[in-house]
Amino acid sequence: MSVAAERIERLGDLAREATRAGDEERARYYVRLARRIAERNRLSLPRRFKRFTCDACDAYLVPGRNARVRLQDGHAVVTCDCGAHARYPYE
Amino acid sequence: MALTPETLPRHELNGHWVTVVDATNPDLVGIAGRVVVETTNTLHVDPAPAGSAEGDTRVRQVPKRGTTFEFRLTDETADPAKGSGTASEPDHPTGEDAAHVTVDGARLLSRPALRTETTGDSKWR
Repeated sequence: MSVAAERIERLGDLAREATRAGDEERARYYVRLARRIAERNRLSLPRRFKRFTCDACDAYLVPGRNARVRLQDGHAVVTCDCGAHARYPYE
Repeated sequence: MALTPETLPRHELNGHWVTVVDATNPDLVGIAGRVVVETTNTLHVDPAPAGSAEGDTRVRQVPKRGTTFEFRLTDETADPAKGSGTASEPDHPTGEDAAHVTVDGARLLSRPALRTETTGDSKWR
């Protein structure tokens, strides 16, 4: 794994911890930095990072704290506190 | 490319325990804590371990230029295989197996996202 990929993974962990500790602005900083690194190094973000970050406000989503996850027929809908929805398929 | 003393200047600094061992501004010497925010020219150091209510809880902003940092690398952060859940826990200067890496702050002068790029891992370039 390259340094850039490791940085992205680490920033995802940091963002999750920051959100759990209640510091969502710092989590946004980590998420934006991770996205910037991925962009500069032409890496795709890890699946977990893609599914649990908000495309609209860059928040790291922790279900139960700042996100709701509802299962629908064939897809899950993740709703951020900012109101943005994201969907991903399952099964 | 694991996080080693060689790759540290190109690697993620946020979350690591750092101590200011030397600085042109003597007031900065001795600041220790986790790096929480990195900017082009500064590091923000949070001295409080998460959850504690000690006196010095202010996040200190330390310029990189003219400062010598000592980073503490633990085994868990150096080992990517088991790093995912534990790597971001607050590091306290307790472990005996930690490696201490001294870095001149001038080597870190770069925008955080660009620091990785100066020398790549890629073989074909």
